[in-house]
Amino acid sequence: MSNLANQLVIAERADLARGIRLLLGSPLIRAATDPDGFDLVRRRADTLASWFDHHCGWALVVEPRQGYARLAKVRSDPDASRPARRDRGSRAPFDRRRYALFCVAAAELLGGPATTVGLLADRVAQATAADPVLPGFDPALRAERMAFVDVLRALEGFGALEPVDGSTEDYTDSAGAKVLYRVDATLLVRLLAAPNGPSRLPDGDRLAGMLAEPRYGGAGATDVQRALRLRHSVLRKLFDDPVVYWADLTAEQREWATSRTGRENMRKAAEQGGFAVEERAEGVLLVDPESLATDGRFPDDGDNAKVAALHLLDSLGASRAGLTADQLREDAESVLDRSPGSARTYRYSDGPARLVADAVAVLVDFGLARRDGERIVALPAAARYTIVSGSPDSAGGNPS
Amino acid sequence: MATQRVPPDVFRFAVGAQAESYSAILRAFADAAQRWEGSLGIDDVRDRVRASGWLDALGDGDLAERLKKLAEWGLLDVVQHHAEDYRTAAEYERRNLHYALTKAGAAAWSGLRHAMASFDETGALPTAVLDAIADRLAEIAALLAEPGSADRRLCAAVHELEGHLESLRTGTAHFHAELRRLQRSDDPGEFDEVKAATVAHLQEFTTDLDQRRPAISAALAEVEAHGVADLHRRALRGADLPPTADERDWLERRAASWGTLRDWFRPADGSPPRAELLRAAARGIVGELLRELERITEARSGSSSAAADFRELARWFTTADRDEDLHRLWSAAFGLGPARHAHLAHEDPELVAPATPWTRAPRVRVSALLRSGGRVERFGSTGKVRDVAQLAALRAARARQERAELDAAWQRLATGGEVRLSSFTGLEPGVLDRLLDLLGRALASRADDAGVRRARTGDGRVEIELSDPADGRTAELRTERGTLCGPDFAVHVRLVADGAVEAGG
Repeated sequence: MSNLANQLVIAERADLARGIRLLLGSPLIRAATDPDGFDLVRRRADTLASWFDHHCGWALVVEPRQGYARLAKVRSDPDASRPARRDRGSRAPFDRRRYALFCVAAAELLGGPATTVGLLADRVAQATAADPVLPGFDPALRAERMAFVDVLRALEGFGALEPVDGSTEDYTDSAGAKVLYRVDATLLVRLLAAPNGPSRLPDGDRLAGMLAEPRYGGAGATDVQRALRLRHSVLRKLFDDPVVYWADLTAEQREWATSRTGRENMRKAAEQGGFAVEERAEGVLLVDPESLATDGRFPDDGDNAKVAALHLLDSLGASRAGLTADQLREDAESVLDRSPGSARTYRYSDGPARLVADAVAVLVDFGLARRDGERIVALPAAARYTIVSGSPDSAGGNPS
Repeated sequence: MATQRVPPDVFRFAVGAQAESYSAILRAFADAAQRWEGSLGIDDVRDRVRASGWLDALGDGDLAERLKKLAEWGLLDVVQHHAEDYRTAAEYERRNLHYALTKAGAAAWSGLRHAMASFDETGALPTAVLDAIADRLAEIAALLAEPGSADRRLCAAVHELEGHLESLRTGTAHFHAELRRLQRSDDPGEFDEVKAATVAHLQEFTTDLDQRRPAISAALAEVEAHGVADLHRRALRGADLPPTADERDWLERRAASWGTLRDWFRPADGSPPRAELLRAAARGIVGELLRELERITEARSGSSSAAADFRELARWFTTADRDEDLHRLWSAAFGLGPARHAHLAHEDPELVAPATPWTRAPRVRVSALLRSGGRVERFGSTGKVRDVAQLAALRAARARQERAELDAAWQRLATGGEVRLSSFTGLEPGVLDRLLDLLGRALASRADDAGVRRARTGDGRVEIELSDPADGRTAELRTERGTLCGPDFAVHVRLVADGAVEAGG
């Protein structure tokens, strides 16, 4: 009997851990694109919702019939390292134009349950023409249509827009393309996760205004509200960011995070999420061995920049004051020399310089380095991956 | 009933600029007719029109003109009144001419009233109508079964039945129209108020329909066993129609009406009865209404101004300073960014004290091939690590097997209905353990009013219902490990999946 009970508990615990990391990795899970993941989240919806609410103060909404689960992530300090991306091979981040078009299109789509690409483009053109701030949208230009298609494909990816007839891609070539869409207005509204709607904010600091959460009580917060804010703000960083450095926290957060309560909170939450906690003198990070809760892996052989980044770490780790991009060029060139076949994109004259820039971006994104003016400085957690002769290493397999 | 051609002038009074005054006049005549006042003079008409709340000044000339017009359209008859002496032509016209409602006039007025009532009516599916239909059918069947019964009573019952059927039909039509309007309505307040009542009403109606249908269907069959044609012939005798009436037409209308009744509850050709379709439609509508409400609640909870929010964001994106601000704004407004974490861990993280700086802590194991060749191995790694992997694999396999055994046990235990405890014979020890666990959970729960104890396993996948039939019988389960004795409970074990109940086994 105890065997049975154990099995049930183990199964639930495994589901919870997996569900937490799936939602962290993708805050919008749809049955259409990830049936297994959605099924798991749907089955454990209540447990997951209370976990996210308790630890991070994030709301989880599961719509069994509409087929999606949405974790409304709120960051107290949103970072720029996870932009919206074009749904193409390049996965290039959205530019100003695409972000703006995304929002205008979303606003116009709220108008009705169905539309066509042509009608939507007309409405977007009208809306931008009528707005004093927004630049006009001209469907006659191919570049504009391309941006528009990227935006529509992103909305399709979120499930807010479903092509019923035709393919969005056709619109790139011809403004006369016929594509019929079904619009999920509820989901569209749910894409907005900020606690405060932008349209109701007074002028001023937009981000702060959008993210202010009354539940924490503001200036006259009670002890309970203050404790809640500390827990949520630290755990949000811990569960969303690759590394949390004590130096980046406020004194109050740092005190909480290194206190007994804070430690226990972090450890328990991480364990429930299936993470390993790595706490060091400079900060703390979570390890997800299965890479469910992450948009990328490092170190990895995914692209040349990541490979180069690993090499750059060795030079960076050796220099306390950091190095300039020029100083790192040599390392990049040696990487290119060593793997002649695999780095064609960096074979042009400015190849090594671009490789350095891309590799540094990888390091910055993973919390292993920061830009300090011209110089690039390694951050403490970078030492996890560097080679230091004579220093201990866990597997005894650190090659030199 | 075939559509009849309506005389062209009958409804002319109800359209055009003077419609209101015409209607007021007709109404005065209709009221008078109800009180058996045969005809009205112009002064009577004026008084009554005033009394009915029509306050516009209507000069004598105008009123006479209107009355003349109505007479022209065949809605009023002009009756001469010769009883008095008149001195002037004006007085003659004023007092000699009386007017009375014609048959067409009465029909026109009742048509108008009917139409207005339909406009005002909010649709409903009256359950009482179903009861009434069942009652009348039963009454007819009883009357037919009794040879000496009065034809008049049969006739009255047939008329009543048709009246109820008509209510059901118009009620349904109104209700559909009302629901369509409700769905189109963009006033969330109205929807919200009406919705709960509508859903409850629909659910009640479908339940009632389910209960009444067998009764109605049975009564229909009983009446038909006596012969419908016979019934209608007797009803015709009972109707005692005036000699001018067309008996064939009367019988045809009864037959058509009977056909409709059959269509609703017991179609002759075996097609699904309309009541069945109505029920399915009602079910669908309930779901739709609930979804609609969900959407409205959603729209109201914070983002009735979602479109405005999106537009404002578009402006912010357009005017943001740097590219970084764009991405930060995206992250803040939409929170759709994925988390980012390391995936290389120490094999035994507990060995490192939290106060150790990263530079002095052990390194994680980075693939040697990644450093030298820019690639990650896709095969197993060193012996030491493989041991761990093997152990983990072994454990995972064992856990999988246990899960499979557990699933098999549940399948074995699912009863697919209520059975006696004594019917569980020859269980393997593992399965018996599970049964005991279930019984234990059920017995630990409180019995409901019906004496049924319910319990679920911790993961909610298996449900048991246990009741004691109190017949004193005992169950004895012999297994390899011993014998279980106890009251012979009635047991129902179900596998629950997705909240729905599957009959396992």
